[in-house]
Amino acid sequence: MNAAVRSKWKKWIFPACALCLLAGVGIFLALRDAGQTLELADNATMGVLPGVDLAQRQAELQQQLDESMISFSINTSPVFETGGAEGNLMLENPANNAKLLVVEIYMDETQELLYQSKAIPAGSYIENTRLDKTLEPGSYAATAYFKAYREDDHSYIGQVGANITISVLT
Amino acid sequence: MKRTRLFSLFAAILMAALSTAGAAAVGSYQDKSIPIGSSSEVLMVGEIEPTVMSVTVPSYVPFHISRSIAGENKVVSPRITMTSHSSVPVRVDVVYTKVDLGGLKGTTWGSSQNVGSNQVAIGFQAETIANQMPTSLEQTKWLLANTDQSLNIANLNPYGSSVLYVTGTLGAAVPEDSSFTVTPTFVVSKA
Repeated sequence: MNAAVRSKWKKWIFPACALCLLAGVGIFLALRDAGQTLELADNATMGVLPGVDLAQRQAELQQQLDESMISFSINTSPVFETGGAEGNLMLENPANNAKLLVVEIYMDETQELLYQSKAIPAGSYIENTRLDKTLEPGSYAATAYFKAYREDDHSYIGQVGANITISVLT
Repeated sequence: MKRTRLFSLFAAILMAALSTAGAAAVGSYQDKSIPIGSSSEVLMVGEIEPTVMSVTVPSYVPFHISRSIAGENKVVSPRITMTSHSSVPVRVDVVYTKVDLGGLKGTTWGSSQNVGSNQVAIGFQAETIANQMPTSLEQTKWLLANTDQSLNIANLNPYGSSVLYVTGTLGAAVPEDSSFTVTPTFVVSKA
């Protein structure tokens, strides 16, 4: 009798163990998957971290530089018949500039402001004009500063200087 | 009939007279304008044209600097192209550089590649390899901070151009989480 019960018990013990084992593995896997479900950061920005890509950084800087470029023309030796007369300054803001230019001319020796233009639109020029200060006859070393402003909001961009020599004849 | 003949004869005489007078007039003009054995007077008007300088240069130059960049040069710079559009050679100088290091506490300005641990130094270098930022600082022309300077950074041939890069370095103790401004003033002149 005992041997028959034992044989019956042996017959069921292995399938029961296998079932338990499978159930255990299932529970383990379920718990493991549950542990891997991470919450996504809501403050993460999609894309490459700024500053890491050198070529991209250079491209951005290039774009800023292109906006800062100033083209201009000026007579390097303007002549004025008299101190109060018009002279051939020949100031030009080329059409491809896409910015407003204001020209200020300072005497190198005294840093005195000799001339200040109003805003010159792109694609225009001032060929002859009077200085704001009447100069005695002579030759004067001066620097003309071309100050660039954005066309839309008139905000300041930057400036470039040009050395010139002003001659007043009489 | 007789009247018609007379009219034709009169017309013929008139034509002959006019053609003779024209020929005589042409002959007399030639004789007076170019006398044989002398030269005519020609007025030559010489006009001195003003020397106009026409250029394209940057009004400011943006750049980044970082210790993590490989090589001596720690600056990421755009490619700065300066161009002369006129027939005169042009030189480009930096006459003054406004530097504001207010954002970098304890940092001072350096004027060479040998910077202290709390120093930063910036300059310009001509392009030697096309479209490639310099990695070395050997050829750098260094900017001085907040003082007058006459630093020739480029010479442009007539209708020519020149390419530059911003270069520089920084010491180990310079903080990397702040920014500073360097504003050089470019002045062009007839070379």
